[in-house]
Amino acid sequence: MSETMTVAPVVKSVHVRCGVANAFEVFTRGIGSWWPLDELALTPGEVKEVVWEEREGGEVYEISNSGERSHWATVLEWDPPAGFTIAWKVDPDAVAATEVEVRFTPEGDGTQVVLEHRHWDRLGERAAETRNGYDGGWEMVLGRYVDKVG
Amino acid sequence: MLDALGDATRRRVLELLRESGSAPVGAIAEAMPVSRPAVSQHLKVLEGAGLVTCTKRGTRHLYAVQPDGLAVLRLWLDGFWDEALIRFKAAAEGSA
Repeated sequence: MSETMTVAPVVKSVHVRCGVANAFEVFTRGIGSWWPLDELALTPGEVKEVVWEEREGGEVYEISNSGERSHWATVLEWDPPAGFTIAWKVDPDAVAATEVEVRFTPEGDGTQVVLEHRHWDRLGERAAETRNGYDGGWEMVLGRYVDKVG
Repeated sequence: MLDALGDATRRRVLELLRESGSAPVGAIAEAMPVSRPAVSQHLKVLEGAGLVTCTKRGTRHLYAVQPDGLAVLRLWLDGFWDEALIRFKAAAEGSA
């Protein structure tokens, strides 16, 4: 089976003034300190903790204040502090998982962090069977803003 | 795109378009408590963000939501990561 790449990956990079190990740790174990948990979570505003099972095949999940556990992603590759790759279902109704790979490289007085979010086509291929394509994209994007501002 | 959706009137325009399929500016303005030029302006912002498409039928412009939800999601996450990484940078440097 060939995988077409007609939908370009999202690639972002940022330079942070701290060591590689620290950057890796804040990105993963410390994700609760910067991820917008009130907006993008399965129990928005109710997240007590985000847990990383730090190994290949491990799970990333949130635990709500009431103890409910919700799956975020599966760890595909775990190579601290150089990087990691996870399979992320960007919304729970997604038909397939996208991949997010993050690399941490020493550069200058700090760390260059490069993030690639890819395999959008996986969503597209499966969703092509349905009439409206990946309609969940609209539901998620609008739903988030209706909750926030509406 | 975040800005495009950060306005309640624009989100209402999008919802109307999703319900009706496609519509000219006038029809959208009639269904809303805002003027036609204001609706035009909102549609331009939405079009610029890739959320709405515009096709010409004779002398009329018909607006519709970008039907590809995948493209919308990808676009949204593109903006999401920009914001998230700024927050990550602040957190990482604050803990160094």
